[in-house]
Formats: sequence, structure tokens, C-alpha cells
Amino acid sequence: MSEWNSYQIQDFVPFSADVYFRMLERMGETFWPLQLFTLAVGVVALLLALRGKPRIALLLLAPVWVFVGVAFFAQRYASLNWIGQVLSWVWIAQAALLVLLAATGRGTADRLEFLSASTITGVLISLIGLLMFPLLAPVLGATWTQAEVFGLHPDPTAVVSLGIFMIALRGWAQWLTCLVPLLWITLSALTLQVLEAPWWLALFAVVAAAVGNLIRQSRAMLSGPKS
Amino acid sequence: MEGKMLRRQFLKMLGAGVVSAWGFPGMAGAQSSALLSKPIPSSGESLPVIGMGTWRTFNVGNDPELLAARTQVLKTFFASGGGLVDSSPMYGSAADTLGFALKKLGIPKTLFSAEKVWSPAGGTTREQVASLAERWGLKTFDLVQVHNLDDWQEHLSVLRELKASGVIRYLGITTSHGRRHNEFEQVMASTEIDFAQMTYNITHREVESRLLPLAEEKGIAVIANRPYDGGSLIKGLKRREKVPAWAAEECGCRTWADFLLKFIVSHPALNCAIPATTRVEHMNENMAAGTAPLPDAKAREKMVAYIESL
Repeated sequence: MSEWNSYQIQDFVPFSADVYFRMLERMGETFWPLQLFTLAVGVVALLLALRGKPRIALLLLAPVWVFVGVAFFAQRYASLNWIGQVLSWVWIAQAALLVLLAATGRGTADRLEFLSASTITGVLISLIGLLMFPLLAPVLGATWTQAEVFGLHPDPTAVVSLGIFMIALRGWAQWLTCLVPLLWITLSALTLQVLEAPWWLALFAVVAAAVGNLIRQSRAMLSGPKS
Repeated sequence: MEGKMLRRQFLKMLGAGVVSAWGFPGMAGAQSSALLSKPIPSSGESLPVIGMGTWRTFNVGNDPELLAARTQVLKTFFASGGGLVDSSPMYGSAADTLGFALKKLGIPKTLFSAEKVWSPAGGTTREQVASLAERWGLKTFDLVQVHNLDDWQEHLSVLRELKASGVIRYLGITTSHGRRHNEFEQVMASTEIDFAQMTYNITHREVESRLLPLAEEKGIAVIANRPYDGGSLIKGLKRREKVPAWAAEECGCRTWADFLLKFIVSHPALNCAIPATTRVEHMNENMAAGTAPLPDAKAREKMVAYIESL
């Protein structure tokens, strides 16, 4: 038997469902009511991106990525999975990239078309991140303090950020910034699939929509002057 | 050689209580609640046939609620006469969870602590063993195995020194999912080891052809990992099927845990199966499977045919 053929997704998930979801709950319990503030930051960042202020939107997202990188990945996830330390640095590096783009303005969207596919896709993805994850808490019988929220937990943070990148960035900068959230969302969807959490499908849908939009935009840029 | 083999096999069966279960049915009932054990070939020391794995299940971080829950699982394991607890540095915080639980429960006399060392070796074998022992709250390990054969030459060389100096009592190698069996076989054949851990369950029986006969021939104790194929096997059976009535009559299989674990530990070359669980009720089921009677060769064939027919 080929060694690689013998591996399954579950071989890369070293914890059980109760442990992972309890960790997410404890994250919320520990920092309550900080998530009300971070959720507001997410809403403001989305609105700023929609009002043609992409650089401030990116600047607002940067500290959120640092916080999740340290408080979630380094201080919690790493105790369950050795890759947590690596992911922590990746999230901090993503924050640095956002600060760089915000500072230079390179790759940011010059003008916004409200009814463009990119904007609509970005808004829908952001709303999934801002609303769906917190609303899972009452559906799953958890309390609001245990809900997954943008700015505290990696899934909603990555999803909302991805949506904002769809709106606020263009070209190579958009591809570059979308890479980490896309990879994390895919990794998380696979993890949730192993843990038999049905919303893994929503995460894959987000990835499909985002990648589809990135490809469509790239083709449009290559074929003409208008994105 | 052949005479020695027969004697060893007989002693092994005697130690397991298998003689009473297979050859003397009248005696099986008298021992029905006692956890069966089999001797470790290299020492003759008795080891209960049901152990405990910790992959995924004991990696709980520092959550007090989950640490307390796993402590109850371990308590149930020891209360049922369990011995071998297997972990690995690859299992996240499992070693710390075991340390927490053992501190709460005290270290039972029956504990047979089994750990692993992994790559990169790079001169870290002693350091890895010492660090893991500290996390478990132990001074020494009963068994240290080379995880998935990673850097096995360097690791085994150091583990031999640790065994000679009394830091560990046994050494071994592991594989899982049917990986690297050719190399595994070569190490078993050419190197002196006490234990070999490999995947063996009713749907993954590749090791029956070469590795298990070799273990018997070389006097190597065998630990079966993934007895429920990572949980999917028993979950699927529980969802779809009832345990067949003949299995209860012929070998005391009242639950699917009985059916799957009794099949594994009834193989003459097998010493111990290490199912993992997060739940006390499942631990009770697992431990009940290690009692007599065990299926004989004919019943084992019937069990395989039944599973293949599903």
C-alpha cells in the first residue's frame, strides 16, 4: 500500500469534537464582552470598505488578526495541535501585510462599483461571517457568551476579512491577502467535516464563491481595462 | 525450537485464560468477569488484553471540565483492571492530561505506561523520554516505542541503553494504517525488541500474513492500534446492525465492542488492543470485551465472514 494513500483527513485532526468546540466556547467566555467590540469593528470595517475607504478598513483588520493569532492560535489551539504555533505566526504576518497595504495604498480599490459581482460577493461573504457564526450559538444550545464571533474566533474573522478583501482590494494584492484566509477556511472546513459539524459546507461555499470571484476578476483584468 | 514455541504458546494461552475459554468451556463462566491477560514473551509478565489509547481523546488542552471528564475515563479503566495506557508526543496535550489524571487518581499498581519517541531523533531520545515522563508525573516508563519507525536506528540504540540502565523496562516500534510494513518486518526480524504496535482490526487484517506470525516466532508482544478503525467501524455497526445472536452464544459478544475487541485479542499473537474513548460508558463496554469467553479459530472465521457480508 502506498503510504500517502493510507492517510485520511481525520489523521490530521488530533482532537475530538467536544474538545474543539469547548475551546471555542471558552475563548468566548474568557474575553466576554470583548466580542461585542470586535463585532462592531467588523461592521465598521465593512462599511468603510463600502464607502471607498479601503486603507482604513485594512488598518482596522490588522490588530484583529494579531489578536486571533496570539490569543487563539498561540495560547489555545497550539496546546491541541502543534501547527497552532505556525498558524499564529502566519496570522501575525497577515496582519503585517494588511498594515503595509494600508500604509502604501497599493492594490486597494480606487473606486467602488456597488452592484459589481466583487462587491456583492464581498458583502455576502462578510455577512456570513458577521451573522451566521454568532447565530450558530442559540441553534446549538450555547449561550451568547460562547458564540463564535469576528475578532475572537478564527473562522468568522477569516470569513469577514475575505469578504472585505473582495471589496477593498484588486489584482495581486487581493490574491495575496486572500491566500491565508482561504487556506484557513479550507483547513477549518475539513476539520469541521471530521468533527461532523454540518456548517463545514457553508465554509466550502465561501471558499468556492471567493475563488470564483478572484478568477473572474483576474480574467476581466487580463481581457480589458475595466475590472 | 518447535518444542519451545509450543510451550511458549501454551503458557501464553494459559496466562490469557484462553485455555479455560477455548478448551474448557465449563470453566469460562467462573472467570467471566475477570479481565483476561497474556504474558509479554520477553519477560513473562502478565498484561491485560484491553489497554487504552489516547489519540484524539486525551488531547484536551487545559480545560478543567474536560480534564475532569478524562480523569473519570481513566478511573473507570483502572477500576476494571486495565493496565496499558498508550500515548505519543504527537498527541498534543495527551501526556499532560494523563499526568493530571494520574495525580488525581494516584498511580495504580496495574499501570503499564507506554509512550513513544518520534522524529527528528537528532540526539533527543533521552530528552524526549525525560520530558514525557515529567508530563505523565512518572519517574520511568514501562514501555517506550519508536513512533512510526521514525529514525528508528538512532532511537532504538538509545532506548536499549535506557532499558539497560532501568529507565525503561521494554522497548518497541510502532506503525499504523498498514504503513511501511516491509521495513517494519525487517526491523522485527533483525532487531531485538519487546513490543511491536500495529493496526489490526476485523476489517484490516494485513498483518495476519507476515507480521503476526513473525511476532510469535520472535517472541515479540503485539499491541493492536485502531481496533475500531478510528471509530468509524464501531459507529457504522452500531448505527446499522444488531450484534448477531450467534456471536453472543458462541463467544459472549453482547455488544459491538465485544465483537470487535474479542476478535482482535483472541488472535494468538496479540497481547493487547488499545481502543480510545472519551466516555465512561464506552470504557465500560471496552473493558467488558476483555473477559472470557473469547472466540476460537472457527468463530473468528465466522466473525470475518459476517462483517464481510455486510
